[in-house]
Amino acid sequence: MTEITAHPSTSANDRLERLKTALDAVNQIVMGKDQQVKLAFSCLLARGHLLIEDLPGVGKTTLAHALATVIGVRYQRIQFTSDLLPADILGVSIYRRDQEKFEFHPGPIFAELVLADEINRATPKAQSALLEAMAEGQVTIEGKTHTLPQPFFVIATQNALDLVGTFPLPDSQLDRFLLSISLGFPEPDIERKLLTARDRLSLLRDTEPVIGPHDVLQLHQDCRQVHVSEALLDYLQALLAETRNNRWFETGLSPRAGIGLLHCCKAFAYLEGREFVVPEDVKAVFPGLSRHRMTVPHGMETSVDEQISGMLDQLAIP
Amino acid sequence: MNTRHAAILWVIAALGISMLPQLIGMPVLVVAIALLPIVWRLLAQFRNWKPMSIWLRVLATAFAVTALFLTYGQLLGRRIAVSMLLLMLSLKLLETFRIRDARIVASLSLFLCATQFLFHQGIPMIVYFIACLLSTLTALMYLQRQEAFANLRNIPETGRSLFSELGFGLRLMLLALPVGLALFLLFPRWVSPLWGVPEDALDARSGLSDSMTPGSIQSLYMDDSPAFRAAFEGPVPSRGELYWRGPVFWDFDGRRWRGNYLGRTIDATTKPDPGKAPFRYSVQMEPTEQSWLFALDYPALEPRGASLSMDYQLITRQPITQLRNYVMASDPDFVDTPQLGLTMRGAALELPVGFNPRTAKMVAGWRRETNSDAAIIRRALAHFNQEQFHYTLNPPLLNRNTIDEFLFDTRRGFCEHYASAFTVMMRMAGIPARIVTGYQGGWYSEMGSYVLVRQSDAHAWSEVWIRGTGWRRVDPTAAVAPERVERGAMSLAIPRRHILDFEWLRDVRNTLDLLQRGWNSWVIAFDSDRQSRLFTVFGWGIFDSAKLVIAMGVTLLVAGAAIFMIMPLLLRFRSSRKQDPLVRLWQKFITKLANAGLDPQPSMGPAEIAAMASAQLSYAADVIYRITELYTFCRYSPRNSGQVELKELIQDFNPSRTDEYARREP
Repeated sequence: MTEITAHPSTSANDRLERLKTALDAVNQIVMGKDQQVKLAFSCLLARGHLLIEDLPGVGKTTLAHALATVIGVRYQRIQFTSDLLPADILGVSIYRRDQEKFEFHPGPIFAELVLADEINRATPKAQSALLEAMAEGQVTIEGKTHTLPQPFFVIATQNALDLVGTFPLPDSQLDRFLLSISLGFPEPDIERKLLTARDRLSLLRDTEPVIGPHDVLQLHQDCRQVHVSEALLDYLQALLAETRNNRWFETGLSPRAGIGLLHCCKAFAYLEGREFVVPEDVKAVFPGLSRHRMTVPHGMETSVDEQISGMLDQLAIP
Repeated sequence: MNTRHAAILWVIAALGISMLPQLIGMPVLVVAIALLPIVWRLLAQFRNWKPMSIWLRVLATAFAVTALFLTYGQLLGRRIAVSMLLLMLSLKLLETFRIRDARIVASLSLFLCATQFLFHQGIPMIVYFIACLLSTLTALMYLQRQEAFANLRNIPETGRSLFSELGFGLRLMLLALPVGLALFLLFPRWVSPLWGVPEDALDARSGLSDSMTPGSIQSLYMDDSPAFRAAFEGPVPSRGELYWRGPVFWDFDGRRWRGNYLGRTIDATTKPDPGKAPFRYSVQMEPTEQSWLFALDYPALEPRGASLSMDYQLITRQPITQLRNYVMASDPDFVDTPQLGLTMRGAALELPVGFNPRTAKMVAGWRRETNSDAAIIRRALAHFNQEQFHYTLNPPLLNRNTIDEFLFDTRRGFCEHYASAFTVMMRMAGIPARIVTGYQGGWYSEMGSYVLVRQSDAHAWSEVWIRGTGWRRVDPTAAVAPERVERGAMSLAIPRRHILDFEWLRDVRNTLDLLQRGWNSWVIAFDSDRQSRLFTVFGWGIFDSAKLVIAMGVTLLVAGAAIFMIMPLLLRFRSSRKQDPLVRLWQKFITKLANAGLDPQPSMGPAEIAAMASAQLSYAADVIYRITELYTFCRYSPRNSGQVELKELIQDFNPSRTDEYARREP
């Protein structure tokens, strides 16, 4: 089902080393977005799915593609359009006249890494087909359950919501994405490099996989081992409680989001090479975790990002 | 403490503490009745007894009231009313099995505590009051908690120590302090307190009384309680001049000296001119239940409600039942009664018939030798001086002819013996004489610049009338024991009065009297008069009740607002108290950074702090990184070693000393 990686079984230290190599490789391709790349890796390591919200052309697809390449997993891209049907994502059963039976043709979702491009262009029906697969780790077609490969990682991109002809994802669906990041325009010196350096696509083609799907599963386990102290849990809970007091947001973070936050922090700390979580990890991860889950209370003239950073600056670390 | 018992135990403790001063002065029977319900309630708590039946309770109450009546012999008066309240509260424990009842007991024990101020108003009452308030607050807090968890079988443990519970009570008291202060200062006061009932206003106090027998002043010598304090405007007179004039006695029945009816009721016809009086002073006098104000010879002013009698006693119309302040001037050179009237002369020479024949014989012999009154006086004083007289605290008992026995047999006595014998001798010689009692000397407080006069300074001396000079003071005690006048009553060569009577202890007590004086003049003496003049320092004039009420309202509003402002600080104080030592260390580090001009925010994590601090204090960057690294490690990693090093680093960390870091750099 999957290709055998070059490094079948390795020690934890070795895995961490190669993870860092993979991180560097992605940073070479998507230049100047270290923090976002790190978050994307954290999301992957925390077994979550990633949402990239931004304008077209800032490197969303490149990031997804680079990730798939360095991890060395199968990569499928689904371009969401308004006429996309669930079967286009999940696959169909076709009647084989010679064998006199239906045969299941798996859709593009049967891959370790799926890029759902411009997810908000599809109808809610198509969207929910993908999102259910994300939540369950399996798809059921015509009464038959098909297990999705492990690891399974979805990167969805979404254009800014005020563009015409889009179906914004409802809040309940957005909750299925662990993190959301936005890439934004590059810094001037990075942009100069982009303009002068090699074409990103050819660079991608030359990039070698550094880790494999088996390693990813191992890395998931490694991340779970990261220590979380009582003091940090105090801070985490204070943060969750603060989101719920109606001062900053319409509604607070759900317990599921809280668990996701904890896993994400662990993965982030692991990426930093630490075996315990510190408050800075929480502060690094928190905006990405909460941005797509929160709305500004009615009548406030601020953006969600401003509210989040405002809250983080106000909340004392216990 | 076991949470199940905690609430009721605290209620009982609160009641017990508020009962304490009352119990000490009560008859034994009443004390026993008051303690029995407490014992029963404690047993009931630990042995799970059921509440007592209503008939038993009624019976117990009837018994207690009867016993109270039989003990005191009446049912009116303050002392008995307070005793009744105490008994009823104690009996209430018999039916205190619900939170509602317990709350009543706790609240009313606070009321019982307040009633104690009717009897004592000294500084120790502050300690008592705080103890009462604290225990009651704690009891109420436990009751509140019990009520909050009434549905649960067990009250959850709070995990708070006894000290933090008491600390909470203290914080509540602190919060209420501004309001209490505002009420104390601004709540309109009555001109005379409601409880100014003279007949049993205060517990029996010792002090000079309206008669003198051998031994009456001697008993005062044992009493160290303050009589009054005098602060002089000018120089303080020497100790030998400090004769504080009190009751004057004329009538002698062979044993007891009494005041003369005429002397007490006729006002002085000539009074010293206050303008010429060299001594001016203000007196703060403790209540005596008597009508005498004390002043140096001769008082020139008549304070409010007092008048100068013919024999120059300062007598008030009402007994002095509260602390009294008055301003006084004295003129020692005033000539008292240059012409002695016939009635007075008769009173000053009268002696009981058939007493003291030996003395009469001796004085008659002196009279035959000389015609001069002054010579007789000298002769009498010389008699005390030359014969073997002793000044003693334990004089032998005297029988019918007190003067004879004293002069010829025992020759041991206290000032009243000498004054009495001298006066009788003078009268026998035909020289008008009378006895003056009062206080002699006093302890000068350098710190407070005032003279403290204690009951133990009580003294008795004589006055004789000599044509041309009027009444003259003669102190026969000075002839026997001059140190009594020169160095004070305590300097007498008399063994210790009681087991704790040391000189250093007396000095400490005298020095501490400054506190008592301050308490008296700032708290006890704060009456309606002082209250209305409270704002005159701001030039706002006299405040009447209406204005005071307005001022009180405004102050309470401001105080309320202030409390709301302080509240977060107090809460923060509380949360910081609960932190572990590691966090306290870190806070110390943060404070040091803030003192160095940095602006560390509470929302910053250790790494952010490190980045900021090392950027601004680059010379100490290494130390800063090491500190934050260690702290991060101790606080967030599974292994928390290195706290000792962290402590040392933070204690040595001194960002303002750049030179030290510069030196350490190479």
